[in-house]
Amino acid sequence: MNTFNLAPLILILPVIGLLLNGLFGRRFVEANPANGERLTGWLASLMTIGAFLVSLSLFLSLLAHGFEPIIVPLFNWIDIPSADFLVNWAMQVDTLSVTMMLVVTGVGSLIHIYAIGYMHGDPDFSRFFTYLNLFIFFMLILVSGSSYLVMFVGWEGVGLCSYLLISFWWARLDKNGVPANANAGRKAMIMNRIGDFGVILAMILLFWTFGTLDYQAVFSGAVEMFEANHMVAFGGLSVPLPTVLTAVTALFLLGVTGKSAQIPLYTWLPDAMAGPTPVSALIHAATMVTAGVYLLVRSNVLYEIVRTSGATILGLISTPNLVAWVGALTAFFAALIAFSQNDIKKVLAYSTVSQLGFMVAAAGSGAYVAAMFHLVTHAFFKALLFLGSGSVIHGMEHGHHHLAHAGHGATHTDDDGFDPQDMRYMGGLRRRMPTTFIVYLIGSLALAGIIPLAGFWSKDEILLHDQTYATPIFIVLAIAALGTAFYVARQLIMVFFGKPRHAAAEHAAESPALMTTPLVVLAGLTVFGGLLNLPYLTRAMAEANHNHPAGIFLMLESWLEHSLASFELAEEGILALPRTPVYLSLLVAGISTALAVGGLLLGYLVYRGRPRTSSEPDRLARTPIWWWSVLPLNSLYMKGFVPLFNRFSVWLADKVDWAFWHDFVHDRVIRDIFVTGAEFSANVLDAQGVDGVVNGAGKTTQRLARGLRLTQTGYARTYALAVLLGAVGLLVYFLFMAG
Amino acid sequence: MIHPIPFLLLAAVAVAAALGMLLSHNAVHSALYLVLNFITVAIFYLALNAPFIAMVQVTVYAGAIVVLFLFVIMLLGAERLRSPVDEVRGPERFHRYTAILLALVLVGVAAYLLFQGGVDMTGVDTTAGATLDASPQALGLALFQSYVFPFQVTGVLLLAAIAGVVIFGHTKKRGEDNA
Amino acid sequence: MPSAVNINWYIALSSILFTIGVLGVLLRRNAIILFMSVELMLNSANLLFVAFARHLGQLDGQVLVFFVITVAAAEVAVGLALIVAIFRTKKSINIDEINLLKG
Repeated sequence: MNTFNLAPLILILPVIGLLLNGLFGRRFVEANPANGERLTGWLASLMTIGAFLVSLSLFLSLLAHGFEPIIVPLFNWIDIPSADFLVNWAMQVDTLSVTMMLVVTGVGSLIHIYAIGYMHGDPDFSRFFTYLNLFIFFMLILVSGSSYLVMFVGWEGVGLCSYLLISFWWARLDKNGVPANANAGRKAMIMNRIGDFGVILAMILLFWTFGTLDYQAVFSGAVEMFEANHMVAFGGLSVPLPTVLTAVTALFLLGVTGKSAQIPLYTWLPDAMAGPTPVSALIHAATMVTAGVYLLVRSNVLYEIVRTSGATILGLISTPNLVAWVGALTAFFAALIAFSQNDIKKVLAYSTVSQLGFMVAAAGSGAYVAAMFHLVTHAFFKALLFLGSGSVIHGMEHGHHHLAHAGHGATHTDDDGFDPQDMRYMGGLRRRMPTTFIVYLIGSLALAGIIPLAGFWSKDEILLHDQTYATPIFIVLAIAALGTAFYVARQLIMVFFGKPRHAAAEHAAESPALMTTPLVVLAGLTVFGGLLNLPYLTRAMAEANHNHPAGIFLMLESWLEHSLASFELAEEGILALPRTPVYLSLLVAGISTALAVGGLLLGYLVYRGRPRTSSEPDRLARTPIWWWSVLPLNSLYMKGFVPLFNRFSVWLADKVDWAFWHDFVHDRVIRDIFVTGAEFSANVLDAQGVDGVVNGAGKTTQRLARGLRLTQTGYARTYALAVLLGAVGLLVYFLFMAG
Repeated sequence: MIHPIPFLLLAAVAVAAALGMLLSHNAVHSALYLVLNFITVAIFYLALNAPFIAMVQVTVYAGAIVVLFLFVIMLLGAERLRSPVDEVRGPERFHRYTAILLALVLVGVAAYLLFQGGVDMTGVDTTAGATLDASPQALGLALFQSYVFPFQVTGVLLLAAIAGVVIFGHTKKRGEDNA
Repeated sequence: MPSAVNINWYIALSSILFTIGVLGVLLRRNAIILFMSVELMLNSANLLFVAFARHLGQLDGQVLVFFVITVAAAEVAVGLALIVAIFRTKKSINIDEINLLKG
């Protein structure tokens, strides 16, 4: 028995949830706050859990039925018989989409449950859960669609949900009276529009070339045309297929940089932290931002054709390599920027950008399975970290409230600047919040890449692949890994170790079980997630099995292979897929572990017991303490490298990131060009050109009408005379002139 | 076919009656001239082997329609409205001349055609008309066999006319709504 | 003088009667006379129909006359109802005073 017919349920269940919550949720909550919250929260959660169970049954069905992709048609979406144009709304159930479904609904369910506790008491409780279900709905459309067009519906839908949820507390103003939350939502929307523009253009090109947007038809058509050296005709212009696909893949990359927050469009993601923390965990870490990676993996055939054909952009770089470099550089720079962040969620945000860079780099260098592997493990541990940070923030706010009620507030004069997300006010939280501390530690170590946690295996696979594929990319990624371990250590120490630097931290309390239970589950997934794609232990073993996975090794690879057509085509010799045997390379694993441990150690040495007070400047910005100067090497390091590095990091954050990208490029260049263009079209083109024509047409008509009106005398006899004139005229014409 | 002498006499009466209708100052006189015209035309119908149409002409036109005219004239007291020639102002004079000119063109065209030889009668058996069965029975058969659909349409038209007249003639009573 | 009356004679007579009807419509101001003139025009057309039926030896011309008479009756009935209605409001049936549709 198979359950593929159940597939539409994964879309229907969230719709039920969002309709019920959207229509009646507010009334439930207002009628009975405690039970109403429980009802709406659990309703939304159960719908997501239901979708998870359906995904699970799809997974089992695929296991039992040979992994081949199944198309589940829902309805004819656009049907123009006269033009022979038909777009089906169909779901593609294959191993790739089911993997994404499991991640989205699995992590999504946990975050839903967590949010019941986190959002407790919020006046817009039901609105939040309505949006969450709406997001799950669109995300599942995105991953389950069988064509680019359906995927794009989901792509836009999750963008909308992202906007709605980032500016969920839209009315809140920051210290300067700016509606920062609303602005953050707008920024995300606009950045993503730029990316979506690329996706739309790419889809138009694909449709022009293949006459369809169905994945399977596009991919098989692309392979056939590629083998036949087909030329694509654009009017009179005839272009080779690889050139067209280069344009398509480059435009897709633009979409990826928007959705997955890569250079140059990454700037919206740190701002997106304005949303509630569960949103950051669900949308801006685990699921939506990985949609770009999903698009890359889904389009693997197109990228591999470009790679094999050797087509390049202006002779400089081929699009897969461009993708890899964009990812690697993003991973590097975002990790550096994370050093100088004091907001607990901002650190995680830049960390997410950085980790997405790893995935994009993996996909660009042809390691699609590694990209998906890292996507899955990252979903586990980054959701864990975000939810953990939410728990910390919750605890800090609790402590702050406690102070205000207990009357301790008077002794703390720095209360005005208090910010529950600022790590400088934390410290020593491991005693106040033990459960949160343990799970946060697990998540952090996984992020740093400590064996045997999930993050180690997936990051290691990416590094292993790139070590043989492109050494420069490997080096950049390795440095990014070092930076990752460093900021992880910094964050752990500032939040959980040392002494409390604020009374709120002293009185922080552990979060309720509703919030910690999902954390524990995610921590379990983080510990054991590496089992999904365990590499072979030795190179000989990997080569003996010729990458045909067996047993407990490379389960994810053997699972995903059935959706990645480029794997099969590479076997047949059509595509030059860069494949490396996946095994536990002592060299790479050693480097990776050394970098992780070294980064953590470095962070520990620099930040041990620091900062002592909330106003103490960052350790990297201070002059070295005495024992650093005993050793000339350390002195050199602290005097030469650290200030330079610190300046570089601050410069990156302030100048490159904010001043250059945010303020100059976005605000000046893009906005000013846009404003100038808009003003030109508004004042000149529209006011004088278009309006002139329109008003001219109106005035001419009026003038003509004024003249013609005189003929309408109102006297019946005039009309009769006109009729007679016409009749006689016709008579004369027919009798004397027509013949 | 009628002899030329009676034709001309009857035609003279018909034209004179029509002119009388046109030029009378009194609307009642106009109506009476119109009756005279209708009756002469009915006599032409008889001469043209159309006895049933002649009967219909007298009963419907001369009887019903002109009686209706007279009834309305007397109901409204509008028999002496204006003389046909008074108060001819500038634009109206232009209007009048144009009308007369066009009428002359109309007659002129007809006259020109007739003097060119009129209707081409080659190959037309003009004697068939004399023996044509134009009895009410034959006419009725033609109406209900080949013209049954137009006949029905005419029935609907009459019904619509009745409805229209009822609505126009309806006088609002005091306190009644506009509807 | 031609020896026998033929269709051309009827055409001449019908044209004259029709023109008189046209002049009545164009020159008279009394709405009732206007309608009488219209009847005269219809009548001249009827005369020609019957004459052609006789000339061609076919009954269809006479059938058409029957329809024309029906339509004329309907037209007069509605037209006179209109005149009565207008007279009620304007106290006049002068066609020149009914010019509310002036542009």
